[in-house]
Amino acid sequence: MNLITQDQIEIQRSAKAFVAAQIIPKAAEYDKSGAFHDFLLEAAQPSKIFGMAIPKEFGGLDYAPLTQALVLEEWGYGCCGMATTLAASILSMESVLLAGNDAQKKQFFTPLLSGKIGAFCLTEPSAGSDVGAGKTTAVKTADGYTIHGSKCWITNGGIAQIFIIFAQTDPKAGVKGISAFIMERGTPGFTVGQEEDKLGLRSSNTVFLALNDVKIPASALLGKEGDGMKIAMQTLDLARPAIGALAVGLAQRALDECVAHMHERFPGKPFPGQALQFKLADMRIQIEAARQVLHHTMALREAGEKFSEESAMAKTYCTDVAVNVAATAMRLMGSAGYTSEVGKLMRDAKVMQIYEGTNQIQRLVVARAVLARPKIAAPPEKALAK
Amino acid sequence: MSISVTKTQTSAAAFAEEFLEPIAADLDRTGNFPRPLIAELARQQLLVLPTEKNAGLAAHVETLQTLSQACPAVASILNNHALAAYAIFKWGSAPQKNAHSASLAQGEKLGALAIYENPAQDALIGVVAGGKITLNGSKKFVRNAGVADVYVGFATIGAAITGFIVNAKTPGISVGASHPTMGLRGCPVADVTFTNVSLDKASLLGTEQTSPAMLAELLAALALGEAAQTAGIGKAAAKHAAAAARHRIQFGHPIASLQAIQQLLAEIATDSHLAWLGVRHAAQLADDGAPFAVEAAMVQSFLGRFGQKILTDAIQVEGGMGICEAVPPHFQGTLPLARLFRDIAGTTLLDAPGDFPEAIVAASL
Repeated sequence: MNLITQDQIEIQRSAKAFVAAQIIPKAAEYDKSGAFHDFLLEAAQPSKIFGMAIPKEFGGLDYAPLTQALVLEEWGYGCCGMATTLAASILSMESVLLAGNDAQKKQFFTPLLSGKIGAFCLTEPSAGSDVGAGKTTAVKTADGYTIHGSKCWITNGGIAQIFIIFAQTDPKAGVKGISAFIMERGTPGFTVGQEEDKLGLRSSNTVFLALNDVKIPASALLGKEGDGMKIAMQTLDLARPAIGALAVGLAQRALDECVAHMHERFPGKPFPGQALQFKLADMRIQIEAARQVLHHTMALREAGEKFSEESAMAKTYCTDVAVNVAATAMRLMGSAGYTSEVGKLMRDAKVMQIYEGTNQIQRLVVARAVLARPKIAAPPEKALAK
Repeated sequence: MSISVTKTQTSAAAFAEEFLEPIAADLDRTGNFPRPLIAELARQQLLVLPTEKNAGLAAHVETLQTLSQACPAVASILNNHALAAYAIFKWGSAPQKNAHSASLAQGEKLGALAIYENPAQDALIGVVAGGKITLNGSKKFVRNAGVADVYVGFATIGAAITGFIVNAKTPGISVGASHPTMGLRGCPVADVTFTNVSLDKASLLGTEQTSPAMLAELLAALALGEAAQTAGIGKAAAKHAAAAARHRIQFGHPIASLQAIQQLLAEIATDSHLAWLGVRHAAQLADDGAPFAVEAAMVQSFLGRFGQKILTDAIQVEGGMGICEAVPPHFQGTLPLARLFRDIAGTTLLDAPGDFPEAIVAASL
């Protein structure tokens, strides 16, 4: 029985082929230099994969959430630095899918269908996990808004053509005073600051952005003033499983590299020791459990059910598994692992426990959901009497 | 065993502050072998070697733990050097000691251990003929390879593993290109190939009979040194992450006031501390002349489970700043955790796939 459709199998196969031909051979080189993998946007353009989340009516591939997860897992298998560029671009467009009108959707999706990417700009130096502490303001003017402030750790920030910017339209109202805006590259007052030199996901572009009195039209507002926090949280709910998908791909890669090394190290012999075999089995068990948590989340989303808690669980579990599996692969491979690209898998995985909401924030989401459930009902009295 | 601050610890800490703190980030970036530091370590009498009284391992692990808080790569160079010297001192003949011990202790010569092989490829084999031994094959992932003056190695001679001492300049010895390592940069790692290398019998270290126990003890001491490095890295990471947590304000308070952060910090500090107690205990056993391989294996097993987690969690506390290799312009301070994350992966590796320390522990029960 196939748990995924024939179409999905085809899409997965072509993603695998693209990753093998374009991503895997170049991953180490870009990881080493940390330079942005600019070849990728052009290489991916024929497949329009950067538009896989865009609805058909706007010219996109309109892939279902599970289909997107299958593609992202393949990309994560190849290189999570490169895959992050794709995932972060999709993250930015989710806000527009959620809250944009038709004109805004057309404005945002058009560049993404022609080899350009988007960026989602929420985090600020003073506002990481504490999203409401942002200091960037949007002051209403006669014909629009003037945005002033800064954003940091912005994935794709130095490369993107189009941005979602969160800013306070009513600073006194706290999180209820945040609004979301669309901003295009080249708007005066917008400058790209230093690119970060990161432990992992090194070729993914992460920058500081300065917004010095950036004037944008009134039509750039997504939804209503004050909707920003809601849009941000719902966008992250939609986007977090994508990070889970990359992490599952990464963990699978770590296991495959480890197994390949063991076959090379112990050729033609009965495989050594239960200790080693059980470690490999544990890696496989964790990877499959992570993949299924992710696919379940996607199934809930496709069915129109609530999935916020599952989304948080998927992001946390998949990225924790990626860190564990990559570290185990490294330790088992010993010096051979330490001098190989398995180190990149460990470094990439570590970053994924932090970005798009730390795994501590995800645990807060899950804990709140657990504690909000009704208490276990007392058994009926009849049952007690027996 | 004294738990007061020892002289070794004080001088190692001073050395770390004066010589290692300033260069650790650059050493990581360039990966260039820091030769002048070795002479300085010798000058400060930190190239710890066994004395007539005891094995000297307690002092050795203390130095490694302290230096690793600043620069684990230099501690790796020292661990491999000091244990090569330890092997010669402990099992060497009088002429061997005369030839090597003083120059190794004074840092005039650098030592290295050549232990690992890939049995599936070109294991190091010695053939005895006419009073000479001819070695062919290679040793893999040798630390200090290329910069060492003396190698203490093991080869299969006849049917038995036997130790030997060889000058690095002996004809037939060649060192491959340094492997790029994830961390511990500055401590070179390369394969050493032996092509018709001719040794006198006087170059053998120990005998067919004593070599297996000698090898087991050296591996235990190496593992103990790496565990000391891990404990030192953990201590530095806990200190840095705690300082960052006190400094970083979110939700109106320093994140150090959040239980979730306190939990992470406490676990990091606990695991590092318990590992260090285990290291000290095993090293003291060695200095007392008692068997210590089981205790060393227990520490290695413990750090196999919790070692890497120390840095995984320390970085988690620091979030975006924790994953930065260089300080972003909008933040202040130092950011060593990314480097220590890469370093600790190298101090918690298994020596060889399939060689689990748990086997040593289980066999002892």
